Amino acid sequence: MNPAMALKLNVLALYGVAAVLALAFAFQFALGELPCPLCLLQRIQFAALAIGPLLNVRFGCRPSHYALSLLAAVLGAAVAMRQVFLHILPGDAGYGAAILGYHYYTWAFVLFAAAIVLIAIVMLFDGQFAPPASSETKVGPVAAVAAWLVIGLTALNVVTTLLECGFAACPDDPVVYELLKPRS
Amino acid sequence: MEFTLIFLLLTVVMLVAWRGKRTLAVGLFLFATVLAAAVFRHHATDVLNLSF
Repeated sequence: MNPAMALKLNVLALYGVAAVLALAFAFQFALGELPCPLCLLQRIQFAALAIGPLLNVRFGCRPSHYALSLLAAVLGAAVAMRQVFLHILPGDAGYGAAILGYHYYTWAFVLFAAAIVLIAIVMLFDGQFAPPASSETKVGPVAAVAAWLVIGLTALNVVTTLLECGFAACPDDPVVYELLKPRS
Repeated sequence: MEFTLIFLLLTVVMLVAWRGKRTLAVGLFLFATVLAAAVFRHHATDVLNLSF
């Protein structure tokens, strides 16, 4: 795999993370479900997963950039698995709606595990790590849109999480947006 | 509040990376990961007040 091909895959990964973050918002607003603390941590790790591809697109592919995404994916998988274990007993309805038969945290675990495997496979191709002519690579419009999508969606999470949790610790079982609650 | 701060930190990491400051971005990313791991540790060991 040459550096150009690897960059295309990294741009695709940025669009993938943007899609996951956008879908999380879509379900949050369409179904009126507030993300719990562990759900928010999983979203955080999805956003963190994008930093490796972002650095690859900006500076060229390096093993250290992939390592950052691997760290994010491993922590994300651990958080998702923790939530799966919380609801593993027979008769437990789980937290939130089920999408295509699985709850969000189960899908999150599958996606984090898939990310770990995919990153490992992509890292097998040493050809992408050829030293670049300059320290920064030229970024095309498709890559720039992908990067700004991920940055925008992460920034939007700052706003919605602040509205949901307010300035205190987030409730274990959130039911209202703390900052939008009518004052009595 | 802790989640808002981590999301904010990650937004800053992305902006810093995009503006070309690689080393700072990697350092801030590692700091955000340690924070996220600490928050996870709290939620993995604390008693949850869930109501279904």
